[in-house]
Amino acid sequence: MANVGGGGGGAGKMADKEKKKKESILDLSKYIGKTIRVKFQGGREASGVLKGFDPLLNLVLDGTIEYMRDPDDQYKLTEDTRQLGLVVCRGTSVVLICPQDGMEAIPNPLIQQQDG
Amino acid sequence: MAANASTNPSQLLPLELVDKCIGSRIHIVMKSDKEIVGTLLGFDDFVKLADMVLEDVTEFEITPEGRRITKLDQILLNGNNITMLVPGGEGPEV
Repeated sequence: MANVGGGGGGAGKMADKEKKKKESILDLSKYIGKTIRVKFQGGREASGVLKGFDPLLNLVLDGTIEYMRDPDDQYKLTEDTRQLGLVVCRGTSVVLICPQDGMEAIPNPLIQQQDG
Repeated sequence: MAANASTNPSQLLPLELVDKCIGSRIHIVMKSDKEIVGTLLGFDDFVKLADMVLEDVTEFEITPEGRRITKLDQILLNGNNITMLVPGGEGPEV
């Protein structure tokens, strides 16, 4: 009766939901074994070898180096780094992922010269 | 799990690593300059939050230099602010 009709409609909706399964727009499997740079909410940065991940963007990094920003440090990376080893990074906190090879520090292109 | 998310089975899943750490020391780094070291008793639904239960906890504040509070018994740590988890980590050496 009403239940059967509801069951039939439910089955149709389930098929639609199956198609909209959560697909990651970034395929991290190609980064496995490579060194990546990760930036977090709160300003922390870390780099390490990607050992594993899940669809929620939780990461497993090995040989992890963490860089921290100090008030007077701004964006100097060499200061305050520490070795963390094998870590799990919370996906909810990750804001950026990039390969370590694919980036380099450049002088600030936006600084405007002040006329003295 | 689902056939759609075809993750390489030979990789290390984050959930698994945390699960292996249950019963041993873990060092948790928060988004802010705070770190927690303790014995991991367990964690809950890792989907959105992952609150963690820890024992024999020491709390470190990084900027003011040095450790802050040592809490015994058990704590429930809100997973909202967790950035990194280091299994077997002992925290910052001060």
